[in-house]
Formats: sequence, structure tokens, C-alpha cells
Amino acid sequence: MAIRLSRRKIASYIASRLLSVKDDTAVLQELAGYLIDSKRTNELELIVRDIEYELQNRGVVLARVTSATDLTKATEEAVAKLVQDHSGASKVYLQQFIDTDLIGGLRVDLPGHRLDATVARRLATLRANYKK
Amino acid sequence: MVPIISNFATSTPDQGGLFAALGIDWKMLILQIVAFLLLVWLMGKFVYPWLMKSVDERQAGIEAAIKAANEAKATALHTEAQVEKLLAKARLDASDIVATAKLESAAALTASEEKARKRSDQIIADAQAEINKEVIAAKSALHNETIDLIALATEKVVGKTISAKLDNELITDTLKAIK
Repeated sequence: MAIRLSRRKIASYIASRLLSVKDDTAVLQELAGYLIDSKRTNELELIVRDIEYELQNRGVVLARVTSATDLTKATEEAVAKLVQDHSGASKVYLQQFIDTDLIGGLRVDLPGHRLDATVARRLATLRANYKK
Repeated sequence: MVPIISNFATSTPDQGGLFAALGIDWKMLILQIVAFLLLVWLMGKFVYPWLMKSVDERQAGIEAAIKAANEAKATALHTEAQVEKLLAKARLDASDIVATAKLESAAALTASEEKARKRSDQIIADAQAEINKEVIAAKSALHNETIDLIALATEKVVGKTISAKLDNELITDTLKAIK
């Protein structure tokens, strides 16, 4: 029976391990094993979010970029630079998703922040702001 | 008795002096005087008092009736005067009542007309306000529907016409604007 650790301790440990080792697969397997052993798999999303926070505090940012179409290389680099400037991170990882419901533009999700410049968002704003 | 009287009456007058010369039978005269006095006494003793009493009573009754009639007449006259007075007063009162009733009815009519006018004005104002409210609501609904239609049309048009290149240009412009 594994000792029950707090999410913050788990996140801190995993973040430091991810930054210190090159093969992050072993670290993730270690985390998965611990969660299964301690029967805390339902906390996975919360722990991942906490790990992202920890990584951000240590200068590594994981940004989820969602757009309606595939981004070009130049656009990806521009997004990464924007995130780097915005968060002050030393390293930025982009995770790209496609969602046609966004119509156009892009949405960037950072730990604790969201940049939504999609056409769908603008239309929603139009509906919300100009309706009486 | 009858034979005695008859004999007395048929006696010869040659025995008297003056009475006989005048043709008067003094016996018959005395008898008649006695009979008369007896009649007078009987009348005075038994008939006259009763008769007088009856007459007096009758007179008193007549006088009482006359007095009562006079009193009744006076009372009738007084009553008639009072009735006239009361009738005059009643006419005056009735006239006053009618005048007051007319005034009150006129005032009530005016008040009810005023109330009805105010009520109708209020109803019209309420209806106007309700109509205005409905117009505003309809305009607002129309405005909102227009916004929805614009958004929907934009979504459809942009969703069909936007290409990957155009999208990347849009993203690049957005990133530049953010910087």
C-alpha cells in the first residue's frame, strides 16, 4: 500500500523529474503506477494540471493551441514566441488541436490563462454584447 | 157624580141675581173654577215639573250640542289652518328636497363623469404603456434575432469560405495585434 501524498507534492516531484531526466516515459509510468496503486486515477486531470503549474513555475510552459485548421511552421513559432514573451518561460511546448467549430483564429490555453482569438469567440461576444 | 153635575148645571137661574141676569150659573162657575184649579194643581204637581225638566234637559243637550258644534267648527277651522300651514311647509320642504336632490344628483353625475373620465384616461394610459412596452420588447427581440442571424450568417459564410492560408493569416494578424 502506497503512502498517500498530496497533489502538490506529487506534482512537484514529477515536475522536477521531468526536467532532470531525458526519458520522460519512465517518469510518466512511475506516476501512473503510483496513481493505480493508490487508487487515485480519478485525480489524474487535477494532477496533470498541477504538474503543468509546477513546470510553469520552473520556466517550462505547456501550451495547448487549438485552431480550425493546421498551423504553419511560422505560425507555430510565432505562437511559441508569444507564449514565451507572455509567460517569461525559458522553454515552451506547444500541443496542437484541431476544432472546426472554432471557424477560424486560434485559442491558446496556458496553466491559469487562456487566449481566445477565435472567430467563434468573436461571434459569441457579438451575441452577448449587442443583445438587449 | 154625572147626575149631580148635570143637575147642578140644569138648575134654574131665577134664584140668582146678577149672575142669573148675565146668564151665568155660579154653581157651574165655581165647579169649573175648582176643576180648573184642581187641574192646575195637578199639572203643577205632576206634569209641569217633569215637562220642564225634560225641556231643560233638552235645552241643555241642544246647548251642549251647539257648543260642541261650535267647538268642533273652531277646531275644524284651526285644524284646517294647521293643515294648510303644514301643507305649505310640506310644499316648501318638498321643493327644497327636490332642489337639493337635483343639486346632489347633478354633483353625483359630475363626479361620476369625472371618475369615468379619469378611469378611461388611466385605461388609455395603461394600454399605451403596455403597447410601448410590447413595442420595445418586440424591437429588442427583433434586434436580438438580427444579431443571431448576423452571427449565424457570418459563421456559415466564414466557415465555408475560410481556408487554411486565410486562417493562418488571420492568426498571424491576431498575434501581431496582441504583441
